[in-house]
Formats: sequence, C-alpha cells, structure tokens
Amino acid sequence: MLAIYKKELRSYFTSMLGYVFIAFFLIIIGINFFYENLVNGYANFEYTITNVTFIFVLLVPILTMRLMAEENKQKTDQLLLTSPLSAGAIVVGKFLAVFTIFFLVVAVTLTYPLILKQFGNVPMPGAYASLLGFSMLGGAYLAIGLFISSLTESQMVAAVITFFTFLFTAFMDGIANVIPSNNKTAFIFFSVILIIICLILYFMMHNLIISVTIGLIGEIGLAVIYYVKPTLFDGLIIKVFNWISVISRFDSFQYSILDLSSIVYYISIIVLFLFLTIQVLKKKRWS
Amino acid sequence: MIEVKNLVKRYGNHTAVDNLSFTVDKGQVLGFLGPNGAGKSTTMNIITGYISATGGTVTVNGVDVYEEPEEVKKMIGYLPEFPPLYPDMTVTEYLNFVADIKKVNKAGKKQMIADIMESTRITPVSNRLIKHLSKGYKQRVGLAQAIMGYPELIILDEPTVGLDPKQIIEIRELIKELSKNHTVILSSHIMQEVSAVCDTVMIIDKGKLVLNERPIDLSTNLGNTGGMKLCVKGDRNIILDALERIERITNIVEHEPTTEGIMNLTVNCDENEDIREEVFYAMCDAKAPILEMQSIHLSLEDIFLKVTAGDGIGDLNLDGFQDKKEVSEAIDENHAEDVQNKSEENLVEEEDNSNAGDL
Repeated sequence: MLAIYKKELRSYFTSMLGYVFIAFFLIIIGINFFYENLVNGYANFEYTITNVTFIFVLLVPILTMRLMAEENKQKTDQLLLTSPLSAGAIVVGKFLAVFTIFFLVVAVTLTYPLILKQFGNVPMPGAYASLLGFSMLGGAYLAIGLFISSLTESQMVAAVITFFTFLFTAFMDGIANVIPSNNKTAFIFFSVILIIICLILYFMMHNLIISVTIGLIGEIGLAVIYYVKPTLFDGLIIKVFNWISVISRFDSFQYSILDLSSIVYYISIIVLFLFLTIQVLKKKRWS
Repeated sequence: MIEVKNLVKRYGNHTAVDNLSFTVDKGQVLGFLGPNGAGKSTTMNIITGYISATGGTVTVNGVDVYEEPEEVKKMIGYLPEFPPLYPDMTVTEYLNFVADIKKVNKAGKKQMIADIMESTRITPVSNRLIKHLSKGYKQRVGLAQAIMGYPELIILDEPTVGLDPKQIIEIRELIKELSKNHTVILSSHIMQEVSAVCDTVMIIDKGKLVLNERPIDLSTNLGNTGGMKLCVKGDRNIILDALERIERITNIVEHEPTTEGIMNLTVNCDENEDIREEVFYAMCDAKAPILEMQSIHLSLEDIFLKVTAGDGIGDLNLDGFQDKKEVSEAIDENHAEDVQNKSEENLVEEEDNSNAGDL
C-alpha cells in the first residue's frame, strides 16, 4: 500500500497536475477569503469555505481522472494485479495519495482563521468544523472520482463523466424541490429506474433470464407496496435525491454546526465507493 | 511445480482455452508455441492470477491460484505481452517501485536492482525516463521487472518481440542463465527461439494442446518427409530412366536447371524409407555424378505450420503421428470441430479479436 501511495504522490508532482490543482484551489480559496472576510469583513471563515465547495465539481475530476484510467490504458494494471498486492491495498493507497494532495490545500487553509484572529474575534470552532466538513466532502468527491476512473481506459471519459456526475449531484437539491411528491409519480419513477438498472445488468452480464427475473421481481415488489401501502412512496423521490446530493449535507457546516450525521454520511460515501472500486478491480479477473 | 488441469476459458460463446492440461517441473523451460489467438496469453494470464478460468485448476507448488492468489503471485514474475511500464518514471524509480510492490527485502533491494539492471543490460539507461527509451530497452526493463525478487517461476509472454537480432541473442542467453535457478515459461511464435532455449515445446492451437515434446524429438519424429533434393550432372533421359527404375520412389519433380547440363530434382518416397544408397548406386551406374544430395527435413517451422494449420489438416499425412495416439486424436477432434464450425469460424474469430483487446 505504501509503495502505491508513494508512487501516486510522486506522479502528481513529477507531472504538473499536483501543482496546478493545489495552486488553482488556493487561488480560489484566497479570492473568496479576500472577498468575504477581508473586504466584507465577516469573521466567519465558514462562509468562505461554503463558497468554494462548488469548485470541487471542476477540480476533482482533473485530479482523479488518471488514477485508474491511466493504469488501464498503459496496461500497468496487469503489473499491479499480478503482484502480491491485494486490490484493497491498491485502491486505498491511491485514495490516500490523492487525498493527501487535497489535504495539502486544506493544511494551508487551516492557517487562515489564525490570520483573521489577528484582527478581531473569530468563531474558531465553527471555522475548523467547516474545514473538517470540507475535508470530508472532498474525500467523498475524490472517492467517487476514483471509482469512475476505474471504470474506463480513457482519462478524458473519466473526467467528463465525473464532472457531470458532480454537476448532477450539485443540482440535485434544486431538482428535488420541483418534483411532485405524490406517490404515483414516485411509483413510475422507481419503475423506470428499475428498468434502467435491468438494462445495465443485461448489457454487463449478457444474461436475459437474470435481468428479466430481477426486473419482474422488483416491479412486482413495487406494485405490491404501491397498492398495499402507497403512503410509503410519499415524497420518496425527494428523499432519495437528497440522499444522493453530496453537497447539500454541507449546509449545516455553513451555519457553524458540527453535524455528526453529515460526517458519518461522508465517511460512508468514501467507504462505499472505495469498496465499489475494489470490486471493479476484482471483477477484472472474471471478465 | 506447476500443474494445470483441464483448464477452460470462455468468453461468451468463444472458447479461448479448451481443456488444457500440462505440468511443468522445477527448473524446466517450457515454450508455448502457437499462432496468434491460440490462447497462449490467456493461459499465462490465468496462471498469474490476472484473469480467472471458467473451469479447471492451476496449482503452483501445490498452491491453488484460485484459492490463494496472493500466495501464488509471490512466486511468479510475469512479463505480459505489453510490458507494464510507467512512462513518466526513470528506470531506477520504476524498478524500485516494482521491488516495493513485490515486497523485496529492504536490505538487499539496492543490490538486487543493480544486479538485475546489470544482467538485463539496462544500467546505462538507469536514469532515463522510460518514455524516452527505445522498444528494445523497454522490453528489457519489462524483463527486469519480471525477474525482480527472483521469483521461482518466471513467465514471459513473447519476451523478444521488438528486439534486434543481437539483443534477441542476449535475451536468450539471459533466459538460459535464469533457467539454472528458475522455472521459466515463455511464449513465442518464433520457432528458433523456442528450440534455442526450451526443454519442452507445447504447441497450442485454438486453445487446445496439439503437441507437447522436446524440440529435438519434434524434428526427428515429425520432421521426416522421406524426400530429398538432388543435383545431378548428366543426360536428362538417362537420369530419369535410372531413377524411375527404383521402385520405392513415389514421385519425381524436376526443377528449372540453374546450370546447363545439371539437373535439379526432388525425389520422394515413403516417410520411413531410406533410398539414399539406392539413388547413389543408380546414378553411379548411369555415369551421372551426384553433385548434391540433401534429405528434406521439415524445420520446426514447417512442423508448426503442419500441426497448427486449420484447413490444411486434411492434407496432412497422419502416418507419422500413428505412434502418438493422443496427438492424432487431438488433431482429429480439431478437424471435426473445424468442419462443424467452418461457417461460424469468421464470426468467432472476430469476437476473439475484440476480446483480445480487453486482455
């Protein structure tokens, strides 16, 4: 794991990528810091941090696109997967490396509230709680990016898909608010989702019986719930959308609240996507 | 050391490896030979644990690849078809990284890297970025990667591709050197290479084992054609007349003469017969001196073509195989399948190509 970690970290600094990411991120934070805290005179550093969360959508894909896609392209995955390393060690090593790059940015940012403190009273707990949330949010995004990168051979494809995924999760709040919350819409919505999942399954496994069976069972299940207890569907789409919306969990940090449930949520996202990436690597054996 | 039993690998409807079984003993050098798409790389990928088999087992030193992949991977050094190199690393950095992931002892690491670079002759380029190296050097860095940690079993997929003749000889020397302490499996579609370095040759075609022999046996057992080339000086009619009187000769082919008054002939007889003396005396009596006489032995290349030719199997003279029952069986099976699948063949081959990309 350490070998992978060192290799990844070095590769970010032998190419421009690491420097560009850190510099660009710091510039964006710096501009917001200057505007919110210095010009407008707010003492709350969490405002600055909340303002810059949108930049993940742009910067994280650049950082994560090469992680696995490059290995797949260069066939170096063959070296890694035939070495005595476990898939878990490879994935975790890579994640830690990319998280370290991101954390360098956070580490510099940690000093900003201290700078502010020279000029007046700063709510420190709120500022550092938001930075903690910010790191976790970043970790979650990086894990999703790593997962998407493992699915493809092309860095460009990885970057574009990651970008749109993030964009989609960022807009999720807004979309959720305009979707009707009655149970019939929810039933139709989930039926469509189920069909899409079955189609994906079919294209991945080329097994008609399994995908049709899963589709039928799921559809019957949905129908039964819909007729027996339709209230379960009330507002379910919004709930699901909110659950997927990674960024909306950050709201509480904006109001200087250390929201443990958000932290747990982010950690679950990280663990889930690392797990999925490991499965993608393991699945290669079965292709 | 390695035991492969009834190995099967299917991609959808296409069978890449079909019921392959063989064993390799410690210290042996085994050569995999086969046309493109025969299943060589697939078999190697399965042994190294990179992909899984659809059926059958592979055990290395008694450890099952499927059950304990990490244990097996420790014992194997693998050079895949495309050397897995990081273009943005220098050679030293790369080998350091490989040593780390192969869990080479910290204390001996530096020395080992230096030794391996020396034996693969990449020391002069040790500080260059891999992306700036030529194909031959890249191949050698890949080879260095495979022998890093001196694993018991070294698997090389077409190790000499892209090398110049001098480098090929060097790499062969290196493989011979390695074979003293390691078990080596290498694949190739170049016959000389296999006959130069391997103890055993396995010819695979369409995922099936066609032949498993020592290179020398191959050429003596299968190489006999009973034919010979003759270069005789004298009158055309007298020579032909004399030759036709030898009953054991089955046919005579006359070639364009290169010099006036000298005949170039190819004479054939039954595979197990030896007519050299008879021909000599016949020519002697006809007062037509033989200037050259050469028995036609199939080269390993020809044997390879003969054994792997899909459609040509019908023309194959199977007499030579009679004592090797299993071999002729394998070929018959192949043949039967060929006839059945002839119409589907193209389709399957296309699929094969697309699958090969995935590997």
